[in-house]
Amino acid sequence: MILNALSITMIFLGVLSAFMVLWGGISSLNLYKKWGRPFTPEGKVFLEDRSYLVLLIMVIVLLIRLINWPFFYATLQSFISDIEGAMCIFGVTQVKPILTRFLEFLKPINFFLIGGWLTLHFLDRVTKTSPLMRKKLLFLSILSLLVLIDSIGDILLMIGIAPESLVSCCTTVTDISNRPTRTTPLSVFGPEYAHPLQVLFFITHITLIGFIGASLKFKIFRRPILGLLFLFSLLNAAFFLLSQIEVFAPALMHLPFHHCLYCLWQYVPDSIAIYLLFTLGTFSVGWGFTTALFGKHGETADLLPVYLRKIYSFAFFFLSASFILLLIHLLVD
Amino acid sequence: MKRKKEWIFFLPIIFIILAFGCQKYTPEDRCDYDGAKIEPHYAVYFALQDGTEKKYCSVVCASMSFQELKGRIKELRVVDEPSGNRIHASEAFFIESDMVTVPHVKNRIHVFSKKEDALKHLQRFKGKWMDNPFLLAVE
Repeated sequence: MILNALSITMIFLGVLSAFMVLWGGISSLNLYKKWGRPFTPEGKVFLEDRSYLVLLIMVIVLLIRLINWPFFYATLQSFISDIEGAMCIFGVTQVKPILTRFLEFLKPINFFLIGGWLTLHFLDRVTKTSPLMRKKLLFLSILSLLVLIDSIGDILLMIGIAPESLVSCCTTVTDISNRPTRTTPLSVFGPEYAHPLQVLFFITHITLIGFIGASLKFKIFRRPILGLLFLFSLLNAAFFLLSQIEVFAPALMHLPFHHCLYCLWQYVPDSIAIYLLFTLGTFSVGWGFTTALFGKHGETADLLPVYLRKIYSFAFFFLSASFILLLIHLLVD
Repeated sequence: MKRKKEWIFFLPIIFIILAFGCQKYTPEDRCDYDGAKIEPHYAVYFALQDGTEKKYCSVVCASMSFQELKGRIKELRVVDEPSGNRIHASEAFFIESDMVTVPHVKNRIHVFSKKEDALKHLQRFKGKWMDNPFLLAVE
């Protein structure tokens, strides 16, 4: 176990969230079963008070778990000097590869689900009758299970990473000629795949921003269209990742043969801002869709268009800002 | 109006990020393949025909770059491990042994200018002789 301020904080937050979500998950499931049943006035007041307490605490825990995703990488970054052979986060992930890969896969899913739940929650809070309360409680109990797994995973990983472990780092994995990120575009575009891949990403990204802008301008917030927009944003994310690994990361690092994104984050720290904005932008498109899908119920139906407009404005801003940052960086370099 | 306020808030942040981010990160002792810190005793240097020099943290990184650069290489120098002196790759003895010198690429290839030093290492670390990995460039 490597002890530093970040790993101790990570364990502390892991233990705290594990206990809180266990309690919150069970409580929200019980409340979900009871909500909507006929009660005495005293019973109803008790149920409402209890729900608000559970929601208040869970909102704080979930906000902490939102921050946990970037914090996880900051903690892994802090371990680099203690792991022999690690020169970036990739090396640290090789100490416990299966658990780390699992957490790297789970964290973005949790981030998306937590964000989706919070958008529903904040929409419901504006109303007087809380029409989304049952859905919120049900989703919260499911989400709690995932957050619990994530928290336990964090604790196990922090305890399991031994100092002085010997690993090999990214160069021997991310730069091999038969890496899938190279062979896939190679089979489509041929040996000079870098330029078409770059152009393809620019086209999909600008198109996505354009579609979001059009939805905002003409106030088109119908579910099938928002669903398609979300799917398109996922496709754009795939192109973003591919073009980052193969084209932009080597260019930004000034290392034309090196394709490691973790190295990019440490050599070009402002690329973290590009990634953060891109992630928030892509997820905002998804959150808009999930809110439209689950948020239309009674009192919220009138509030929904204004609320969706806000979410998609954020998506528009984040995606544009990430694109401008990337573009300026490439031009300045 | 509200949208304008949002942009006014975020634009300075973007400019600050850019101002710091666009400063080039090019420390002198950085490997030209993967950006790792170079330990001078295990470095490899390519002198290119355009007068520039490329430096690598290990024979492994140099070999990976070699395929892309072989047409442009004028001179190839490696470092004698015991003394730290730069020598021409064609004059060096190469040994592959159990000892790892640059852990992040698991480099096990060792370079010596004297045959006696190479033999000592070979016996001590269960090594075996190997051909110059950059033979084509030297020729």
